[in-house]
Amino acid sequence: MNKGLYTVYFMVAVSIVFFAALSVMNELTRPQIRENQEVQRLQSILYAADILPEGIKEIDWPAATTNDFPWDREWMRRIKETRFREIRLPLDFIEKKSLDDRMTELGDTLNIIAVLDEEGRLEGYGFPIHGKGLWGTISAFVVLDRNLQAMIGIDFTEQMETPGLGARITENGFKYFFRGLDLSGFTKSMNYPIQMVREKRASNREISTREIQSITGATQTCNGVLSMLNTNLDFYIRFIEAHEQEIETIVLGAH
Amino acid sequence: MPTPKVPQIIKDDLWKNNPVTVQILGICSTLAVTNIFLNTMIMGLGLIFVTSFSALTISLIRRIIPERVRMMVQVLVISSFVVIVDISLKSTVPEISRALGPYVGLIITNCIIMGRMEAFASNQPPGLSFLDGLMSGVGYAWILLVIAFFRELLGFGTVLGRQVMDPLMRAVGVSEGWTQWSFMIMAPGGFFMLAAFIWIANNLSVSRVRHLK
Repeated sequence: MNKGLYTVYFMVAVSIVFFAALSVMNELTRPQIRENQEVQRLQSILYAADILPEGIKEIDWPAATTNDFPWDREWMRRIKETRFREIRLPLDFIEKKSLDDRMTELGDTLNIIAVLDEEGRLEGYGFPIHGKGLWGTISAFVVLDRNLQAMIGIDFTEQMETPGLGARITENGFKYFFRGLDLSGFTKSMNYPIQMVREKRASNREISTREIQSITGATQTCNGVLSMLNTNLDFYIRFIEAHEQEIETIVLGAH
Repeated sequence: MPTPKVPQIIKDDLWKNNPVTVQILGICSTLAVTNIFLNTMIMGLGLIFVTSFSALTISLIRRIIPERVRMMVQVLVISSFVVIVDISLKSTVPEISRALGPYVGLIITNCIIMGRMEAFASNQPPGLSFLDGLMSGVGYAWILLVIAFFRELLGFGTVLGRQVMDPLMRAVGVSEGWTQWSFMIMAPGGFFMLAAFIWIANNLSVSRVRHLK
């Protein structure tokens, strides 16, 4: 056989063999990977909504991340069915343009999760946000209280920051300072509604302020997080305020 | 090409011709992942798997690979095994997969793997090639683990995530406990640790020359 032709046939054959093997492996593992992603997403929403496994006090686990808690999958599914309502709201052109500028999800609708308390009353609103860290995109899930005046919690779902430094934003010790964070700066149209300080003497649960504590050695990551919060929350708070009636109607109707 | 013996392959890959300290290969990942011991361990295991099975596959088909596309085939084989590692991590240990992030995919670019394909697997029988790939991976991994151990210990005061330096300092009378060496967690810490290791390794392995007066 001609050498050139043999080379082509060989490459095609080897490519088919390996692509086929990888495709099979991908198909076999796809359901498990999808389930893992769904479980991870649910853990993030539960953490941000301050719904933790029984007996767990996150302040006792400062260096741990959301995954480290003893989550029970059955319990998580039950909570999802009884306390979360996924709501899809249409985006008008101006809102969509504003959203695109904030590097958040693209689409014609926006998904908000209505968080209910144990009696089925609206307790808060949850949504994903995105921003730029030092090395790449940072994604998080945020839950605000129903008055949009304080944050219930946040969980960082994706980040590519330096392990041990910027990546520490996923630790409970950092995220704890977001609980009870005062968001009144957004309704008062302040330039920097949320600020970052080197050290906070008290958590926002004890004394609600507009400040969160930074991580030593991770200045650029923390600046990225701050910028992400200030730009994304500005949009979402206005959006939810504009659609509040609609959301309550959907939640009451579903309940 | 002469066929090396098994003990020689093991000795060379682990120490005498170590990929990191002697051949100075795989330096990027050595610096990037060695600030946390657990991440380093997973990275090392991933590389051992990829190097050994890539070497085995290349050796099995070495006689039928056209010379012109030799490297393309090697990259195809290596990247396929890296994808297998990535998918396996995502489906079995998703937390660790997330922690490692892009570093798993970057195994493809690790020059140790291509280096061993070219230098050994392309010319040697499958059994020996698999062993060489395995030992090269182990030779890389153990160096990284030693570096990671010290970087995590001095940088965080922890071993596998458990705080050890703080209680130790307090036990010996240092009331403030352990002050983290942040420098060790950052890239320069990796540079210095690696350089120190290479210096120690070369001093121990290079034959001493006696100067006659």
